[in-house]
Amino acid sequence: MSSSVISVISRFLEEYRSSTSTRLKVVDAYLLYILLTGALQFLYCLLVGTFPFNSFLSGFISCVGSFILAVCLRIQINPQNKGEFLSISPERAFADFLFAHTVLHLVVINFVG
Amino acid sequence: MLIFCNINILSLFTGLVSLLVFMLALGAQALTPSHHLSPSDVDRLQAILSQPFTDLKSAYFSIVGLSKLGLSVADANGACSFIKANVDSSSVESLFYAAEASQALASCEIHVSNETRDLLHAAVSEDSTVSQIHQAVSALSSFSLPLASQEVVSALKARISKEDNVLAITLALQTASRLSQQAELGEILEEIEDLAARLDDLGGVYLQFEEGLEATALFVSAAYALSDHVDVEPPLKEDQVIQLVNSIFSKKSWDSLSEIFSVASAAAAFSNNRFHKPVIVSALGPATVSHSQPLLQLQVTDVLCQPLSSADVVVESASSVASKAAILSKTPFTLRDGIFELNFMASKPASGYYQFSVAVKGDSRLVANHVELKVKVSTKVAINNMDLSVVDKDQSIGTKTTRVEYPSKAKASFVADSHQNFAMTFQLVDETTGVELTPHQTFVRLHNQKTGQEVVFVAEPDSKNLYKFELDTAERKTEFDSMSGTYALYLMVGDATLENPVLWNVADLVLKFLEEEAPSTIQSKNLYVPKPEIQHEILFSGVLEINPPLPLFSVQWFKLGANISNFSLSPSSLLFHIGHAAMLGLMYVYWTHLDMFQTLKYLAIIGSLTFLAGNRMLAQKAVKSPLSAHHYAPKVLG
Repeated sequence: MSSSVISVISRFLEEYRSSTSTRLKVVDAYLLYILLTGALQFLYCLLVGTFPFNSFLSGFISCVGSFILAVCLRIQINPQNKGEFLSISPERAFADFLFAHTVLHLVVINFVG
Repeated sequence: MLIFCNINILSLFTGLVSLLVFMLALGAQALTPSHHLSPSDVDRLQAILSQPFTDLKSAYFSIVGLSKLGLSVADANGACSFIKANVDSSSVESLFYAAEASQALASCEIHVSNETRDLLHAAVSEDSTVSQIHQAVSALSSFSLPLASQEVVSALKARISKEDNVLAITLALQTASRLSQQAELGEILEEIEDLAARLDDLGGVYLQFEEGLEATALFVSAAYALSDHVDVEPPLKEDQVIQLVNSIFSKKSWDSLSEIFSVASAAAAFSNNRFHKPVIVSALGPATVSHSQPLLQLQVTDVLCQPLSSADVVVESASSVASKAAILSKTPFTLRDGIFELNFMASKPASGYYQFSVAVKGDSRLVANHVELKVKVSTKVAINNMDLSVVDKDQSIGTKTTRVEYPSKAKASFVADSHQNFAMTFQLVDETTGVELTPHQTFVRLHNQKTGQEVVFVAEPDSKNLYKFELDTAERKTEFDSMSGTYALYLMVGDATLENPVLWNVADLVLKFLEEEAPSTIQSKNLYVPKPEIQHEILFSGVLEINPPLPLFSVQWFKLGANISNFSLSPSSLLFHIGHAAMLGLMYVYWTHLDMFQTLKYLAIIGSLTFLAGNRMLAQKAVKSPLSAHHYAPKVLG
């Protein structure tokens, strides 16, 4: 049972390495970074306590928001999804990503206190 | 499952039954007035009614109102001339006011012409409103003109069925009370019961019409006027009468002269009718007796604060609240200067609270004449046999007991270290009777004059009512923060039934704690100091320092060969990157210094620059990029 799981995973990783473009891999690395940061923040909150709660929320929501925006960017710049995003070039997607991030950071900085 | 349901139903049933029993028990207790006019309220009523008249209507309210209170107008002749000067013989209403007011004055005759009389008679018909019929009939009656009672009755009956509101029916009742007793007033009399059913019961305390205070008060005076006239008891239960009293006399500042008139009429009705006379029993001052003030004084009055001098006031029973032992039974009060007095101290009651059940008898009309009263007997406390001693813990050295007499202080101070206990015993007795007392508050307070520390202990009585206080120096060192020094020892005795609470500096006590345990300074336990501001730096530096994923991320990016080489140094690209970096910098500055409005202002400036630069940069990139050739139109932003 476990051997089949391992073989599935290794197959998946091989496919990923070969067929994903560099651009997407960069975004994926960024996604992983955001995920780890968010998890670390949550762990910190569990260990040390929720005071000050607004700061924890702000940081955590920043991570979650960034993750979501990066996922959206990844979806939009993935050549395989070209059909669904005909009017949105990757550059436009990136610009949207930057704009949304500006708004997110404005809100997060306001809330972190 | 079924058993569970059954148990539920059973418990619900028993719950309901007990609730019902409880409510019945509550209902069985007679209601007593919680709101009534005080003598100052009656004076205020009189003062407002004595104000000079502005018109005939206000003259009517003042003159008739005062007469109902049993008082008369200051200047009767002036009032009479005023009425004569202001009456309008062509208006039924004006004639009504003039007739009633002149009737109330001692000698004021108004000449009535034949036309006036005919006008009044014409007003009594089915086509006039009840109010007009009432005014016409009252005017005819007050002018002592003949009246066809049966016609009035039929007109009233016809109008009542058309005008079914509270005020109209009240006026009909009032009109009927002016008619001949031979007339058939039975049907109109029944209206009292119908109208009483329309009263709203508010919390079991108030009974009033939703039309308000004036309507309720006018109903009361009309109902009793008619009932007295036909000598039939009105269908109002005792509790309802008291609830009406509560409603009418709960308002102590009135809005209009008509409202005041209605309150005065109702008060007069309650004081003087043949059937129901509400009684108001209240203690004069606080209901407390003591050796210096042994008399329990009660005021027993009617609603107009006139004492019921002919009544017999009797204590049905008086029992102690604590021990439920009966002290008095069927003891009468004596009347002196309008106050009913009883010398309760003559029965030598112990100090404490007593539940009195007082009955007012002598008149069958009396309502709410059983009153429950809580009386306090207070006394003075004396402290006997105050013995202080320092006892060695191992009991090897014999105890030396010092006796201190109140209110002096022990001459020598007592010394106790961690091997010794300090002990104090005393007795608290009633000064007059010598009976032992156990007051609510018996505290021993130790006060360090140098440091301001204060520790309070409770002294407890044993089974023989002997108070003992023991201080184990070693055991109690935490309360004292192990601060050695001289403590002033106070005894505090207090209780609601004590006239002389005691604060007595009995002695000085020198406590010696082990030196190494003493703190260097007393840290005042100040809980209300503002807490230090949360520093941003703590969190931010944490984020910068503890960012494990960051190196991983950087490594990954380098491995993937991030496209740094393709960095075009075109001005728009440069501007874009600078602008973007500036925006991030602005975020940091916002966090530390700015507020939202300033930030938005700067963001607008930097953002628009970045946007334009970025737009150009990305457009250039899009044109250059191999992917864009076929499927993406080089759509420029904006």
